Amino acid sequence: MSYSIGIDIGGTFTDIMCVSYEGTAIIHKILSTPQDSSIGFINGLKEIAELSGKPFNNFIAEIDTIVHGTTVATNALLTSKGVKTALITTKGFRDALEMRRGIREEQYNNNFKNVAPLVPRYLRFTVNERIDSKGKILKKLNEKELDLIIEKINSEKVESVAICFMSSYKNPIHEKKVALYLRKKLKNVLFFPSCEILPSIRFYERISTTVVSAYLGPIVGNYLDNLLQKLKSIRYDGKLLIMQSNGGVVIPKQVKKNPAVTVLSGPAAGPTAGAFYASLLNYKNCIAVDMGGTSFDASLVTNNQCITNNEGSINRYRIALPSLDIITIGAGGGSIGWVNEGGLLQMGPQSAGALPGPACYNQGGEKPTCTDADLILGYLNPEFFAGGKIKLNVKKAINAINTKLVPGLSLSALEIAAGMYKVINSNMAQGVRQVSVERGYDPREFLFIVAGGAGPIHASEICTELEIPMFLVPNVSSVFCAAGMLLGDLKHDFVRSYFSTFANLNRKKFLNLFTSMETEGIKILMEEGIDKNNISNFPVLDIRYTGQYHEVSLEVKWEDVINYELEKISDDFHKEHNRLFGYSLKDEKTGLEIINVRLRMICRNKKPEFLSESKMSVDPADAIKGFRNVYIPEIKEMKKIPVYDGDKNIFNCLIKGPCVIEKITTSIFVSQNYDCQVDNFGSFIVYDRAKYPEGYRGVCRDTVLRVSV
Amino acid sequence: MNIDKILVSVLQRGFKSITDEMSISLTKTTRSPILCEAKDFVTGLYDAEGQMLEQTENLPILSFSLGPVCKEIIKQYQNDIFPGDVIIHNDVFTMGNQNNDVAVFKPIFVNNTLVGWSAAKGHQADIGGAVQGGYNPNATEVWQEALRIPAVKIYEKGIIRKDVWNLIFANIRLQMVQEDIKAQIGACTLGERRLHSLVSKHGLDVFHSHKQDLFDSTEKIMRSEIKNIPKGTYTGKSMVYYDGKYKGSKFPIHVKITIRETDIIFDFSKSSIQTKGFVNGTYSSTCSAITLTFLQMVNPSIPHNEGMLKPLKYIVPEGTILNASYPAATTFGNHLCPQIADAICKALGKAIPDKITAGWNHLLCSLFTGIHPDSGKKYVDICFLGMKGGSGAKMGNDGYDHIGMIDASGGVLDQDYEMFEHQTPHLLLQHEYLCDSAGTGQWRGGLGTETKILMGGSDTTMVVFGDGDVEPPYGLFGGRKSILNKIELQFKNGKKFVPLSKDIVQNIPNSTVYYQIAGGGGGYGNPKKREKAKVYEDVRNEVVSNKMARKYYGYAKT
Repeated sequence: MSYSIGIDIGGTFTDIMCVSYEGTAIIHKILSTPQDSSIGFINGLKEIAELSGKPFNNFIAEIDTIVHGTTVATNALLTSKGVKTALITTKGFRDALEMRRGIREEQYNNNFKNVAPLVPRYLRFTVNERIDSKGKILKKLNEKELDLIIEKINSEKVESVAICFMSSYKNPIHEKKVALYLRKKLKNVLFFPSCEILPSIRFYERISTTVVSAYLGPIVGNYLDNLLQKLKSIRYDGKLLIMQSNGGVVIPKQVKKNPAVTVLSGPAAGPTAGAFYASLLNYKNCIAVDMGGTSFDASLVTNNQCITNNEGSINRYRIALPSLDIITIGAGGGSIGWVNEGGLLQMGPQSAGALPGPACYNQGGEKPTCTDADLILGYLNPEFFAGGKIKLNVKKAINAINTKLVPGLSLSALEIAAGMYKVINSNMAQGVRQVSVERGYDPREFLFIVAGGAGPIHASEICTELEIPMFLVPNVSSVFCAAGMLLGDLKHDFVRSYFSTFANLNRKKFLNLFTSMETEGIKILMEEGIDKNNISNFPVLDIRYTGQYHEVSLEVKWEDVINYELEKISDDFHKEHNRLFGYSLKDEKTGLEIINVRLRMICRNKKPEFLSESKMSVDPADAIKGFRNVYIPEIKEMKKIPVYDGDKNIFNCLIKGPCVIEKITTSIFVSQNYDCQVDNFGSFIVYDRAKYPEGYRGVCRDTVLRVSV
Repeated sequence: MNIDKILVSVLQRGFKSITDEMSISLTKTTRSPILCEAKDFVTGLYDAEGQMLEQTENLPILSFSLGPVCKEIIKQYQNDIFPGDVIIHNDVFTMGNQNNDVAVFKPIFVNNTLVGWSAAKGHQADIGGAVQGGYNPNATEVWQEALRIPAVKIYEKGIIRKDVWNLIFANIRLQMVQEDIKAQIGACTLGERRLHSLVSKHGLDVFHSHKQDLFDSTEKIMRSEIKNIPKGTYTGKSMVYYDGKYKGSKFPIHVKITIRETDIIFDFSKSSIQTKGFVNGTYSSTCSAITLTFLQMVNPSIPHNEGMLKPLKYIVPEGTILNASYPAATTFGNHLCPQIADAICKALGKAIPDKITAGWNHLLCSLFTGIHPDSGKKYVDICFLGMKGGSGAKMGNDGYDHIGMIDASGGVLDQDYEMFEHQTPHLLLQHEYLCDSAGTGQWRGGLGTETKILMGGSDTTMVVFGDGDVEPPYGLFGGRKSILNKIELQFKNGKKFVPLSKDIVQNIPNSTVYYQIAGGGGGYGNPKKREKAKVYEDVRNEVVSNKMARKYYGYAKT
C-alpha cells in the first residue's frame, strides 16, 4: 500500500485528499493555522493517519508523494507582508517599478491611489552601466560602484535584492556579474537577477516580476525549509512537490529560485482537476469554477490543457510568468447585497467574510448576503448547513433584507432574495464569459464543472444565462483543488527572446535556443528524479504580424520546430489570429515576426486512480430526506420539492428535477428544467432536459439507471 | 411593459463586457504604438438613435464625440443603412473631435430592424495633410492638417468599397493606418456579434424598454449627484498660451457654471474668439473635456450611458477658441482639455472644495518621425513616456505621480522602454521622477518626470505641441503651484535649443540629446499642515529635497 496526498492550505481551511494506489480515497478538511501553516500541515497528516486506521509512523512510511498548494506567497503579497527588499537597476531607470507605465486604473476617481511599490524609492539603487537593444555594452559595469550599495543594504537590514538591468534579456552579463559579486559579499541576503527569473523583452514586466520574486523569496524559502524540517522530524522520506501558478508541480529547491511561481499555488490545481473530470466524461474542453466564501474562480481547459498566459497580476503587481488563466471575481456566499443611487440592486464585491459572516450565521452580521438569499429561497437547509454544525437563522436573513434592501427597492423580501440570487449569478456568468467568450471560446462547447461549497446551488442559473446545456459537480467538489494537486505533472517553463522577422530567421540560432532550453530543463528534471524518456516538450512561439506590437503565443509541435516548418507555423498563426480577432492578413501576404521562443517541458507523473468505491447503490427513493419549499426561477415562485441525501450511496441513477440534493459539504439545486444523473464515481451531472430529451448518455451509457419518481 | 430591474443590471454589465472585449481586441491587433501601447482609442455601443449604451474610454477626450457622430450618421443616411455596412468618419465639422481620431461605425440589425451601432475610434499615426502625424503648427485651415472624411461607407452590405477605400488611403502616408482601420472594423464586428446575440435573446421589446430604464436610472443618479452641489452660479478662468502663429499670444477661457435643482449648465460664451492657428477646439472635443472633468467630481461608479449625459448642458458658441468655425485648423483642440478643466475646477472650488483638484500638469509633447536604420522604413512615435506629469492634489489625497494629461487621466500608458528602443532608433538615457517637481501642500501634487533620449536614425523630425511652459499648474487653499514644462535639444557641439510649445524641428542630427521635463501637479492646503511622516518619507525617497522641505514644510532633518 502506498499513498499520495494532496494538501491545499487556504486562509480558512486546509483541504486534504489522500489516495491509495488501489483507489481508496480519504477526504478531510481541518482549520488552517495561518500563524504557521506547517503546523496545520502536520496536524492534517496526523488526522488522516487516524482516519486510515494506521499508526502514524506506519502511515507516514507508506506515503510516496505529497503535493502541496500554499497561499503563503499569495497572502504575503496581498497583505504586503513580504521582506524588506532592495532593487538594483540601470542608471536613469530608478522609478520604472513604481510608475507602472503611468497607469491609473480608475480614470475618473481622483481618490484612487497608485499601488505602493514593493521596493520604496530609497531602496532602489542605480548603477552606471548600459547595454543596448542589440546586446552591445555601451557603458561597462564597474563593480566598485556596488560597495556603496552594499553599505546601504547592510545598514537598512535588507533581506532580499532584485537585480534588473536594461536589455538583460539580450545580454545578461552585467546582471550576472553583479549577482556574483554581491552573493560573495553578502551571505545572508538573497539575490534575484532578472535573467534568472524572466529573461524576456519588456522592461516593466521583467522588473516587476523579479521584484515580486525577491519580495517573497525569504518568506517562501523559510516556509519550505521549516516544512521540510518538520517532515524530516516525522521521518517522512517521500517526495514533496509544490504546486505552481502554471498548474505544474516542482520540487521546493526550484521554488526557492523563483518564488513568484507560487502566487497562484492554491487555485492552480482547479483547472488540473477540471481537466481530469472532463476526461472521465470524454470531454477535452471544460470550464472549471469554484465558488467559495468571498470569491469565484473560473478557468478554462482546452484539449486537456489548462490555458496559461503571461498577463497576470495580483493586487496590481504585475507578474509576467506563465500562469493559469484564472479569473477571480468578488462573488461568494458572503457577497453583500446593496442598492445603488439609481435604485439598482447590486451584489458584492464586498463580502461579509467569515466574521461577522452572513446575517443568518447569527454572529452579528447585519448585511444581507448571498447565503442569506440562498437560505430564504430554500436552497439551504437551516438545520443541515455544514452537516448541521452551523445553524442558520432564517429570521435574521429576512430581517437583514427588510432593513437594508426593502426601503430602496419596494419589493418583498422574497422577491429581493430572488433578485440577489439572479444578480450574483449574472456576475458569475460574466466571470465565466471573461475566461471563455473574451478569449474567443464559446462556453457552450465546454463541460462546465462546478466546485466549492456554494457553487452547485448557483450553477443551473449560470448555465441558463450562458446557454450551457449541462454541468458536473464532482464527488470531491469540496476539496477540488487538493484532488487536483494529485493530478499535477512536473512542469517547467523557459523563455528566450529572439527578435526577428520570419524572413530573416536564422535556422541555427532558432534551433540552438530551443536546445539550450531543453538542456536546462532536462538538467532540472533529472534533479527531480525524472527519467529522461518521460519528458515531453511543448514549444510556443510568440508571433505577430510585422508592425504589430502585441504577439500571439502560438503553440506549435516539437517536430515542426526541429524540422523548421515555418510555412506550417505561419498557416497556424493566420488561423489563430482570425479566431481571436475576427480577421487574418494571410491574403495580404503580410510578413510575420517572432519575439520570444518558449518551451514548456512536462513530465507526466504517475496518477492515482480515483476509483468508485463499488458500494451498492440505494434506490433514489430511499435517499429522499423530505420535502421543502424552494424558489424555482423558471416560474418565479416557491414550490414544494423533494430533498435528497447526497451522502447516501446513490450511484448510477437518475434524479428528476426540480429537487435539492444535500451533502454535508455542499448542496446542489436541480432546477425545474434540469435532471441529474449520478455516475459511478458519485459525481453529479445536471443537464437541461430539453437539450437531452433521451437523457444525458455520457458515463452511464451502458448502465441501467435507477430512476427517481 | 413590466420592467425587470434585475435584467436592467444584467444588460448594463453585458454592454460593458462587450465594449471591454472590443477594447482588448484593438489593443492586441493594432500596429501604431499610439494605439496598442498607449491605448489612444475608445470603443462603444449605441442604440438605433445613436444614444450611448456603454463605452470603454481609454482616452476619454475621444469618447464623448462618438454618440453625436452616430446621430449625424443616422440623420445623413436615414433608411440607407444595411447589415454589413461600415461607415468611417473623422470630420470635425460634423461632430468629430480631432482630425486624427478616426471612427468606424457598424450598424447592428436583429430581424431586419436596426437595433444599435458598434463603434471604435482611434488616433491614427497619419491622416494626410501637410505634416506626417497630423500635428501641423503652421496650419490655418483644416486641409493643411488632414484629409477630411465626412461619414462615408467603406463597406456596403458586407462588401468593401475598394474605390472609396483607395481614395482615402491614397491620401495617407503610412500603410499601417490601413491595417489599424481593419483592426477597428474587426473590433466593431465583435461588438456587432455580441449585441446581436444579446438583443436576440431578450427580444426587441424587452431590450428597448429595459435600455430606457437603464438610461432613466442612470440619469437619476447623475441628477442626485448634481443636487448635492450648492445651487448658484460660479465662474472660473484659465489661459491658453501661443497659437502656433504669434509668439507671446494668449487666449483666455472663461466658464460660467450654473447649478440648478437637478441640472448643470457649462457656459463658455465669454471665452476668447478662435485663433488663426491650429489651437482651436471643436464642439465635440470641448464637450468631451467638460464631461470628463465633471465626471471626476461625482461618484466614479456611475454607468456610462446616455442617461448620465442628460443633466449636463453645454453652451459653446461657434467662433470661439473652443468651437472654431469652418474651415479653421483644430488639431490642437483635444489639448485644450487641461485649460477647460482648470477653469471648471477654479469655478467649482467655491461650491465643492472637497471634490475638485489643484492644477494638473498641462500636456507638452513631442512626436518623432524619421527613418529606422534597421528596417530603412519610416516610423512615427508620440513620446508618451516623456510627456506625463503629475495630477493636482485634492482634499485628502496627494496628486497621482506621472499620470499625464487630464484628458486621459492615466488611461494612456508609457511605451515599454525596451520596446521603444526596438521600434525607434533612439536610446533612452533616463526616465525618472523629478525631485521637487510637485507643488507643495498639505496634500502635494503628483510628481513630474525627467526624460533624456539620445536620438538615432536619420531624417529625424520633431513636432512639438502643448502648453505649460509659461504658467505652472496652480495650487489651491494654501497649496503651492508646481513647475513648468520644458523640452530642450542638446546638440553634440554643446549648443542647446528650446523649441516653442507648438513647433516643428527638422533634420535633427544623430546623437542629439532630447531632454524633457513634465512638471508635477499643484498642491492643496497649507504645506505646514502636512503630516510629518509623509514629508519625511518624501525626503527619504528623494522626491522632495531637504531645502524644499525646510522652506515649505518646516521640516528639519534630524
